[in-house]
Amino acid sequence: MRRNIALSATAAISALALVLSACGSSAGGAAGSGDEQVTLQMVESLTNPARTTLIKGMLADFEKDHPNIKVDLISPPTEQADQKIQQMLQSGSGVDVLEVRDLTVGPFANNKWLYDMAGDLKGWDGLDKLTDQAKKFTFDAAGHSYFIPYGFYGLSLFYRTDLVKEAGFDGPPATWDDLVTEATKIQDPAQNRYGYAFRGGSNSAGQLMSILEAYNADNLDAENAYKVTSGATIFSTPESQTALDKYIELFKTGSPESSVAWGYAEMVQAFTSGSTAFLLQDPEVIATVKDSSLTADQWSVAPNLLGPTGKAAWPMATAGWGVAQASKHHAEATELVKWLSGEPSIQFDKENSLVPIQKSASNDEFFKTGPWAAYVEMTSNPDKWISVIEPRDSAWWTEWMQRSGSDLQNVLLGKMSTADLLKGWDQYWTDKWNG
Amino acid sequence: MTADGVGGAGTARSGSTGARRRAASYPGKPTPPRSGTRQFGWRNARVLLAFFAPAFVFVAIFTYYPLIRGGQMAFRKWSLWDLTETPWIGLDNFRTLIENPIFTTTMLNSLIWVVVSLVAQFLIGFVIALGLRRKFRFRGVYQALVFYPWAVSGFLIGILFRWMFNSEFGVVNDMLMRIGLTDKPIPWLADPKLALASVIIANIWYGVAFFAIMILAALQSVPHELHEAAALDGAGRWKTLMRVTVPTIKTTLVLTVLLRVIWIFNFPDIIWAMTGGGPGNQTQIATTWMIQFTQQGEYGLASALGFIVMGVLVVFTGAYLMLLTRERKP
Repeated sequence: MRRNIALSATAAISALALVLSACGSSAGGAAGSGDEQVTLQMVESLTNPARTTLIKGMLADFEKDHPNIKVDLISPPTEQADQKIQQMLQSGSGVDVLEVRDLTVGPFANNKWLYDMAGDLKGWDGLDKLTDQAKKFTFDAAGHSYFIPYGFYGLSLFYRTDLVKEAGFDGPPATWDDLVTEATKIQDPAQNRYGYAFRGGSNSAGQLMSILEAYNADNLDAENAYKVTSGATIFSTPESQTALDKYIELFKTGSPESSVAWGYAEMVQAFTSGSTAFLLQDPEVIATVKDSSLTADQWSVAPNLLGPTGKAAWPMATAGWGVAQASKHHAEATELVKWLSGEPSIQFDKENSLVPIQKSASNDEFFKTGPWAAYVEMTSNPDKWISVIEPRDSAWWTEWMQRSGSDLQNVLLGKMSTADLLKGWDQYWTDKWNG
Repeated sequence: MTADGVGGAGTARSGSTGARRRAASYPGKPTPPRSGTRQFGWRNARVLLAFFAPAFVFVAIFTYYPLIRGGQMAFRKWSLWDLTETPWIGLDNFRTLIENPIFTTTMLNSLIWVVVSLVAQFLIGFVIALGLRRKFRFRGVYQALVFYPWAVSGFLIGILFRWMFNSEFGVVNDMLMRIGLTDKPIPWLADPKLALASVIIANIWYGVAFFAIMILAALQSVPHELHEAAALDGAGRWKTLMRVTVPTIKTTLVLTVLLRVIWIFNFPDIIWAMTGGGPGNQTQIATTWMIQFTQQGEYGLASALGFIVMGVLVVFTGAYLMLLTRERKP
């Protein structure tokens, strides 16, 4: 009797397994074209609930336009997302379309986990609709296309209009020198009021590089902003020494003492709570400031700060959509990436406060007014705000961010001189580039 | 298993064991002396094996296999940048770690982190457990409040304390300034001398609950008669505690301390959320450093550091248990 029950159970489980596997293959579909139903698995990385809802809405529109393609969105928590994506890519299954960041494209492409879309993008009419910046990031130096950016993050100066006026200044600082002057005058720790929301904690190199690049703008290698035109590292020039000393002066005279440990959250909180007057951050902060207690007439955004020669570099961080090499549906997946990079990207950029990738966005009233006006000014004056690329796709980028953060903290704490910091960084990058 | 326990005589021996059991179960019959070794036949061994097998297979697949697979990374160049080639590099990863200027700081910080956290958690947990042992009104509510932190994620605790210790907006400075203990904000997480103390305070708050739970459970198992006897013999509270209570719950205390040392050493969550190991590596411990290597995609280095952590803990556990065994011997 028991034997019969065991046999029946085994048979039932086997039958169920067969049915499930049949369902699975039907849902997944074969490398599909024509009327065959194809299901794509798409994974996002910089997940947040509002963004996930937005993407789901966009995917619903895509499915209406493409009735034979269904897209399942996977949204891992942001902190673990890149590792999850890496595991999926490594296992060779479970992902067709994925969010690729400028930080992850290097290792992902190097391990041959990403599909090269260059061939598929030939003749695509959407390519000409992309801004030059977007096109630059769509293809790498060797002509491969591992992702199409969906938008850009670039630093600009958030400032308190009321505090600047109260301190007797006509307007926001235009140069780094002006920033030190205004921040120092506004700073009053007794009133819990500070000039600049300094970033001394994690990922502090972004703001620091902004001043180094502004001071070296005349000689900067636009394709690799960590180099000057002579081929040496940016850290080896006398301009960088002046810039770094100025930056430390800004910390000492115009920033809270505790900002040596500030990361993104503290900087933004300091600005939105009204205790600091200036914040150098990406446009995604616009949405956060709009939701804060600050009223619209209390704050605005100014272009990225200029160096002594009246120029600044404007390095962009980016992310976009790519296709997994292991996907069995390259054609459908690439179609989805093209679609996401078209007109729908404008809405995506608006709701995520990103610098748009579509040329036509410059005619959109949304991007011309209010806090976005500074971005229009920067993109309209490429000789003044020079578009540069930082080597964010280097294999050692995360190591560099951790080392640079730690070294800067040691300088702020008086445990290292600015000259030693620059010497160490010059050596670090020279050694890395020489292999 | 002894040599006698295997072989063809198994059936006969199991028969004789059964006879002994039957004899022992009859009242009035003398119990045969125990040989000190229980002998099993093939049949018993097979049954035992069948019961052990699922657990063994589970542990082997989900613990030892990944451990061995992960362990070999420590001896290879295993970098996310290029996983198509992972050449064998011997002890190079260990050499790289030890030659790193922050290795000594990290190990020293780890030691301070474990010792200070453990001692404070133990003492405060003990006092709380003693207080909770007696019945009083709303004891259940109070117990729930004390044990609550243990149910919260360490990372979340870290984020909460990061904001509480924030110099400008934090509640800690606000309270200190209101009651006049300081006239200007203290940069808790920015000052290298205070940063390690701040993360340890957060860890103490978090870990006290575990000691309180364990010690309270042990205290409740101490027979009341022992305390009555001690009282009759004229022992005061302190003497009763040290001579009666502590020796009775010693096993629980020993195991709890051992577990906590291992857990605190392996617990980067709070530090990672509060300081990320900064400022200037002043709160860097071995496991936060390991996270940094993982983030860099340097899995070989992270694995090598994992080996070092495991080595330290194995040596500690061995020494700790050996000392206790020696102490127990007359």
